[in-house]
Amino acid sequence: MTNFVIKYRWLIISLSIIAGISMGILIPSSETDPEIRNAIPAHMQSRIETDKIEKEFGVQDMVMLLFTDSMILTPDNLKNIRDIDRAIAKLTGVTNRISPFTVKEIKSSYDMMVADPLIKRIPEDNESIEKLKTGILSNNFARDIVISSDLTTAAITATINTSERESVTLGKIDSLISTYQADEKVLKGGLPYIRRHIMDDVKHDGVFLVPMALIIMLVVLKLSLGQWKSVFMPFSVVLLSTLISMGLIPLLGWKLSIISLLAPIILIAVANNYGIYLVARYQELRMKDDISSNADLIRELMRSLSMPILFSGLTTIAGILGLLTHSIIPAKQGGVLAATGVSAALFMSLTYIPALIYLRGKNGKGIKPARITTAGFRKLLGGLSGLVVNHPGKIIAGALLLTLVISSGITLLKIETNQEYFFPKNNPVRVASKMINEKFGGSQTVSVMIAGDIKDPVVMKGIDSLTRQLEKNDGVGQVFSISQAVREMSKAIYSDGEDEYDKIPDSRESIAQMFELYNMSGDPDDFSQMMNLDNTKAHILIKLSDPSAGVIKDVRAEIENITSGFPADITIGGYAIIMAEMARSLIKGQVRSLAFALVAVLLLLTIIFRSLRGGLIGIIPLASSVLILFGFMGFTGIKIDSATALLSSIMIGVGVDFTIQYIWSFHNHRRHGLSYEESTRAALTIIGRSIIINAFTVMAGFLPLVFSGFMSIRFFGYLVIISIGSCLFGALVLIPAIIMKFRPGFLDRDFIKNKHSKYEKRDHNVNVSTAAFTGLRPAAGCRPDTEPVA
Amino acid sequence: MINSMQATISLSIVEKNGASRNRTIAMTSKSFPGGVEKRLIKFLEPADVRGTAMLIIDNKDVSDEIWIYLPALKRTRRISSSENSRSFMSSEFSNADMGSPTLSDFRSRHLEGSGTNNRWIIESIPADEDKADEYGYSRKVSYVSMDKYQVSKMDFYNFDGEHFKTIEIKEFHPMAEGKHMVSRMLATNLIRGRKSEIVFDNISDNVKVEDSFFTVQNLER
Repeated sequence: MTNFVIKYRWLIISLSIIAGISMGILIPSSETDPEIRNAIPAHMQSRIETDKIEKEFGVQDMVMLLFTDSMILTPDNLKNIRDIDRAIAKLTGVTNRISPFTVKEIKSSYDMMVADPLIKRIPEDNESIEKLKTGILSNNFARDIVISSDLTTAAITATINTSERESVTLGKIDSLISTYQADEKVLKGGLPYIRRHIMDDVKHDGVFLVPMALIIMLVVLKLSLGQWKSVFMPFSVVLLSTLISMGLIPLLGWKLSIISLLAPIILIAVANNYGIYLVARYQELRMKDDISSNADLIRELMRSLSMPILFSGLTTIAGILGLLTHSIIPAKQGGVLAATGVSAALFMSLTYIPALIYLRGKNGKGIKPARITTAGFRKLLGGLSGLVVNHPGKIIAGALLLTLVISSGITLLKIETNQEYFFPKNNPVRVASKMINEKFGGSQTVSVMIAGDIKDPVVMKGIDSLTRQLEKNDGVGQVFSISQAVREMSKAIYSDGEDEYDKIPDSRESIAQMFELYNMSGDPDDFSQMMNLDNTKAHILIKLSDPSAGVIKDVRAEIENITSGFPADITIGGYAIIMAEMARSLIKGQVRSLAFALVAVLLLLTIIFRSLRGGLIGIIPLASSVLILFGFMGFTGIKIDSATALLSSIMIGVGVDFTIQYIWSFHNHRRHGLSYEESTRAALTIIGRSIIINAFTVMAGFLPLVFSGFMSIRFFGYLVIISIGSCLFGALVLIPAIIMKFRPGFLDRDFIKNKHSKYEKRDHNVNVSTAAFTGLRPAAGCRPDTEPVA
Repeated sequence: MINSMQATISLSIVEKNGASRNRTIAMTSKSFPGGVEKRLIKFLEPADVRGTAMLIIDNKDVSDEIWIYLPALKRTRRISSSENSRSFMSSEFSNADMGSPTLSDFRSRHLEGSGTNNRWIIESIPADEDKADEYGYSRKVSYVSMDKYQVSKMDFYNFDGEHFKTIEIKEFHPMAEGKHMVSRMLATNLIRGRKSEIVFDNISDNVKVEDSFFTVQNLER
């Protein structure tokens, strides 16, 4: 390997740079996918069912424009809303719209069935306004659909079609509103607006957070390594591996999503670690007089670091690959992107950085000291090691108790798939969504498609029964179905008091002729969302005022129960159903990815430590951190969503490094004849410092996430800091205490075939445990570094 | 002027996804003094609406009157008179498409290429915004054969200036006094992807029909 690097150094450097730049060139062509339903694989039941319904009745994604004022029914407000409504009607990208000016009043008047607009003329005097108020409050198609019951808000609901880009249509609507808007406040909601905000925020986060993370990492590297030339090596690996990873998105035909934003941040936080070890060790070795050539320097560097870096990288990759077991597409893609990036960083750290070091050689300017002082660390870690050595049992019991107490919060853990909660509370989309849920029945929907002879009275009565039953369900805002229109028509045809009034007719012909009657005076699109042209399929649209998983589950159960004897095929779909399946997938994916990551890391640790017991001890802090993480989320009300679901796998992938570093270091001290107490003190004092710096470097890398426009990414940022902190505690407190208490035998055996180099033999430095994982030069005065081991 | 006429009309509406709805109706119309035209329509197909009948009284200066008899419901109801832009029987044809346009409602001009290849190309723009709202389009381009004075195609443009509908005149039926009547036309909505075709069969003009035939009472027979 070393000879290969030396021989092909230029080729390695060139290929690394070419690979990074080639992939980086692709990044600008990445498209953003704000559609959360695409997070669910197309073969999943909810997608299939929803696609079936949307193929027949079109996409049910609606824009909702809310006009609010202390009293919305004023002539000026109504004129503005009418002008905007008329202008929206003329937009190519809008198929249907429901507004105070499109709602019909189906009534019987002088033997005439009238399906006239609710507002024919803008009322100018108090009497007309009062009449309109009464008309709205008594009209099932108007109250809380186009005008809220408290008469403070009017709504225009527009269905967007695909004849032009959604962003173009939304731009036109925005322009119309700014042209016509007067005193009333206008809020814009619905999935198309949510998608647009996601697009904007993904772009904003990409432009803002990634550079911020890079700058933070640059500062951290400068503080750690001192010289800019030294900083360049690991930093260029971060850049190149990030470019390779992100270039995969367009190369594989994927699209940028909220989740894929995490991949570059993960890489920036993690990918520099291996480079730091190498450069720090290089800085150390070049000071030694007995290394005479560049080739010797590289050989010593690789001998001492290639294996631990490889193990560290492989365990990180194994943890991250746990994400592949998720059924949520962005989680899988995030796993592939991060694992590819870490693999590239690992490969470049073992080839490209040594090649650069070889070129830079042993000669050069003196090393500037790193700016992180060691006195504080020595004091802290000295105290800690004393505690661990003297009270291992108490520490284990305390950690167990702490884990148990915090993990009890898991019972409070909730799943969140609602896109509205991606945004902060004061975000306009969130405010609009809240108002839609409170006053207009909700923006999230369940759709039921009934395929059969819709004019059959048995089917129509079944639709009616389902509609009326669902209206009573908690969390259901409104239900729209063709049976409601049939009932309204019966009210227009028959007089109050007649048996047929407000009823579904008993004969197929009666229903058919009612529709024919409506066809003569209504618009062909009036029923297009409720029934298809040849009356073979009907659509029930259920708006949820509380789109929580429990409500969706109850609604689905109710639908299945009522329609079990229907002489028709029933399809249940819609955005809310997709989200419910996504919630189930998140739970399954969370469990699977966690199990995969823990098992993979256990296997790797078992191989690395050549002991199953060693592997099991190694995953204790990780398992404990997972429990603490979920417990903390439960207590603080942070929900599992598509971003936070990635956290545990990433935490395992990153956190395992600390454990390996500590055990490796402890083992080396033991192999050099130190007692358990001495090894604990030495390992904690030397490697503890580097583990802390390593952990804080990772935390610093993730820090920009707390400035994201998305709440779930912000939470991810906070939680990753807690997770890494928990892993740090596990590696520096719990693992040393366990080792002290139980003294496992695997620590007294060789992990790898011991090949002491001539340099190591000469100065008795503990190879890996010194600069190997420190990231900084070893602390002066520490016994294993300064005193020959007997 | 055709005084009276009878025809069987087939109207088919085909959705983008191939779903279709077909109606067959028998229509009898007669002109009355004062520019009033009365039409009585009986539904023949499909079976579940057979017997449904409509009486349309097309008044010259006041609103039209439309009555419909629903045999299964045993009810006769008036329905509100339609606007010009409103759909004709839920098809892609508007009510305006079913009659002759009022020329004064439009500003018309010849377009480039008009007068060549045996055709005129005439652009018609509604005279004002109210007329545009009434007809439901911002612009119409008609292609008229120069030798027969027959419209072969009309393209309609929406308020975004987008071509959204085309009506193609497929066949004409010769009538008395050398006149011709459109007997088959196809409307295609380019945005919705929906097509509607109307075919007039068994056309007879100047048939003998009593005035009393066009009454509400006759609807229910």
